[in-house]
Amino acid sequence: MNFKKQIFGFMDMLRFTKLVPNRRAALEAGSPEPLPRDYRVNQQARRLHPGMMEVELTAVRALVPGMTELTFKRLDGDAFPFFRAGQYVSLQAPVGDSLVSRPYSIVSSPRQALDNVLTLGVADAGFFSGWLNREVKPGDRFRMSEPSGEFHYETLRDKKQIVCIAGGAGITPFISMARSMAEGDEPYEMLLFYGARDEAHLAYKAELDALTQKGLRVVYVLSDEEKPGFEHGFVSAALLEKYVDVHNATFFLCGPKAMYDFVGAQLAPYGLPVKAIRRDATCCGDLALDAPRCFKLTVRIRDKVYTLDAAENETLLTAMERAGVPAPSKCRAGGCGYCHSKWLGGEFRIADGRDGRREADRKFGFVHPCVTYPLSDMEIEVPAAE
Amino acid sequence: MEKHTTKAYDVVVIGAGNGGLTAAIRVLQGGYSCLVLEKHNLPGGFATSFKRGRFEFEASLHELNDFGSPEEPGDIRTLFRDLGVEDKIDWLRIPEAYHLITTDKKYDCEMPFGVQAFIDKMEEYVPGSRRSMTDFFDLCEEVRAAQTYSNSVNGNTDSEYMKKNFPNFIKAGSYSVNQVLEALKMPPRARDILNAYWCYLGVDCDRMSFLHYGSMVIRYITRDAWMPKMRSHEISLAMDARIRELGGDIWYNSPAVKIHAEGPGAITGVELADGTLIPTRHVIANCAPHLVFGKLLDEKAVTEKMVRATNSRTFSGRGYTLFLGLNKSAEELGIKSHNYFIYDTADSVKQYDMMRKVDTNHVQATVCLNNAWPGCSPEGTCMMYFTTMFMSDDWGNVADTDYFKAKDRVADDMIRVFERETGCKIRDAIEEIAVASPTTYARYCGHPQGVIYGYETADWDSLMPRMMMMKEDAQLFPNLRFAGGWAMRSSGYSSSYVSGDLSGRQTVGDLKREVK
Repeated sequence: MNFKKQIFGFMDMLRFTKLVPNRRAALEAGSPEPLPRDYRVNQQARRLHPGMMEVELTAVRALVPGMTELTFKRLDGDAFPFFRAGQYVSLQAPVGDSLVSRPYSIVSSPRQALDNVLTLGVADAGFFSGWLNREVKPGDRFRMSEPSGEFHYETLRDKKQIVCIAGGAGITPFISMARSMAEGDEPYEMLLFYGARDEAHLAYKAELDALTQKGLRVVYVLSDEEKPGFEHGFVSAALLEKYVDVHNATFFLCGPKAMYDFVGAQLAPYGLPVKAIRRDATCCGDLALDAPRCFKLTVRIRDKVYTLDAAENETLLTAMERAGVPAPSKCRAGGCGYCHSKWLGGEFRIADGRDGRREADRKFGFVHPCVTYPLSDMEIEVPAAE
Repeated sequence: MEKHTTKAYDVVVIGAGNGGLTAAIRVLQGGYSCLVLEKHNLPGGFATSFKRGRFEFEASLHELNDFGSPEEPGDIRTLFRDLGVEDKIDWLRIPEAYHLITTDKKYDCEMPFGVQAFIDKMEEYVPGSRRSMTDFFDLCEEVRAAQTYSNSVNGNTDSEYMKKNFPNFIKAGSYSVNQVLEALKMPPRARDILNAYWCYLGVDCDRMSFLHYGSMVIRYITRDAWMPKMRSHEISLAMDARIRELGGDIWYNSPAVKIHAEGPGAITGVELADGTLIPTRHVIANCAPHLVFGKLLDEKAVTEKMVRATNSRTFSGRGYTLFLGLNKSAEELGIKSHNYFIYDTADSVKQYDMMRKVDTNHVQATVCLNNAWPGCSPEGTCMMYFTTMFMSDDWGNVADTDYFKAKDRVADDMIRVFERETGCKIRDAIEEIAVASPTTYARYCGHPQGVIYGYETADWDSLMPRMMMMKEDAQLFPNLRFAGGWAMRSSGYSSSYVSGDLSGRQTVGDLKREVK
């Protein structure tokens, strides 16, 4: 072939020789104004996803026996980011020699975040939560992750009718979801089944009753108490059918494993698609072992090396926290991947049903310390905490 | 508090994206010490994956071009072989080139790999196109040969040799795609169909250099495309593993916040957010020159020439991707192709203009991964990803309180357009959904305004003069080189690997000269 654009081929060739001088001139003709220090979309990214935040506790309120509400304000930015109702934050603090963190669902609404208010409802259920229920006071400072997690409504995926089922302290994300609906930020119709032992253990009952004026439907289900105006027992299929067309709803479940098992079994005969039932993740705890062995865990973070004890029944993350090693963590359920770390040696096991690693992570030897238990001495390389 | 100073490295690579990872391997293979700093907790930049429910989504890769089979490797497979990562990855071949659909002219064309097959198929769609298509591929073949020669001499081409051996390359070299196709007397409909790949380069065909487009198309069509089975995360982790094998270090969650330099060419070290200082005299930046010259480098080392050169360039498209995990198989849903391009109009100039605004943009490059790799999601399911770009900062107008709704509006439109144009009803099958907006891209990779394609390779800043000025551009700040989508080879997986390869090897050359 003989390519020709202009009448004479040499003219096409000549044009080619101008490419470099043209570009050189254009580069030199650029503006001498200082380059931007920041960009609008990047600013928005930092507002919506600030990463770790410095926060201060502003109020402590007893909710019901064994559950406390903590209210925070952010110190290192304008306000908390707007988020998706249903999401959680990871709260972190030094407790003694340990550096501890736990995820908690946000109770306040996304709009309240813009007023620099974020509240958590903390059940007295473990080491850190117990400490939060008893020891903290307004003025105390913490680190808090940005709101995270996929336990929230999706307009393009979910049915307009959502059925939320809360067990005990599992009510927290639904308070935020109900508030967000009332504030006009969510398009769903919300029916809430709220199970508790008795009326005295219904946290946020006054708030929920008030929200019924703004479209929320709520059914209280007491297992240990019979009372007019309250359903008695558990959230069974018969109870669900009394209030909703099971086939035309998306279910959101938050509560203890026993509740997931029970409700799951109740819903099984309907043959609902996987997408119709969404469960909030729960923290991965200790293994129940009779005589857990203790191993040596070597942790590399950048050019630092830590050596610490790791018990067979505790996750690698717990071992690092106990030793005060600054390791990243967020969901503590194996799913978010924030603690993604390189395995360098040793045997381990992963909590049942919690292996949230990517396929290639397994192939190339990466682990999520928040759900990984040691079975021998181990060595891992952990990303620096933010 | 006293700042922690680490050991010194011959080279610090900022960013573990495709370019940075490749560059680091090259530096280590050259026998020099290297530290890779990555702001995220994973390698790869856009080359990654993420999980939602029972799906593991590919974050960005549609297919790797110029890869070829093990027996007839393309340039990228050869590069992976040289890097020592080819064998660490399970590869699969992409079945067909693309499926073009345009709303205005009702194109619905499925194009195959292989030059002869492509030309035959085009003749079927556009009778009378064979001759111009044959000329097109002949010309592309010469483009590729010229580029191979240029790479072999590191851009220091001999002009007499070029004129003698690649005259058509030179004669066509200063023209746009549309100007060349017109000169080849290609029928307009064939041009429309052939130009479908334009969105992969993000510049309309009036402003995109023919050399750039031609070299990409020939690489796609002759050396079929491949991808890893475990999503692009497999490539990124293979490179991470290779860097460790070669004795290099990678630090995650470790964004560089400062490059210290006494002046141009006189880098002394890199600083992290917590004040940690890493002594080095060489940096390979897998990030935007806008960030390096505007923020990272000590101000005293930044000259007006650097500022002007950086300001003169144009940001390319800001990315948006919708990810869907569907609870029916591709077959049940009637989704037949792996790779769809759906445009409002076959006119790339008009289309580019519509892409400036979020509301008027309905372009999508859509992949159903199961049609290339059935095992990518559980039996009876499939997953798709839909990508588009905004050719302005219109997305920046979205208020925080409207952010989630704005993401949904674009996603809703993408689903609507896909269903309308293909007849495949996917909406009710959505089991998992995720969206990456320009804000997401800005967050994960730090790119200004959520740009995913680096600087536009349009008009004066097209690929050819960039390559011809590679040496000259690097003189702007000696011992600082760029890799990845913002570097000379522009964006895209293959291009980023190539720029990482070039900058890595050139840095080894810089280090060797230093010793002398």
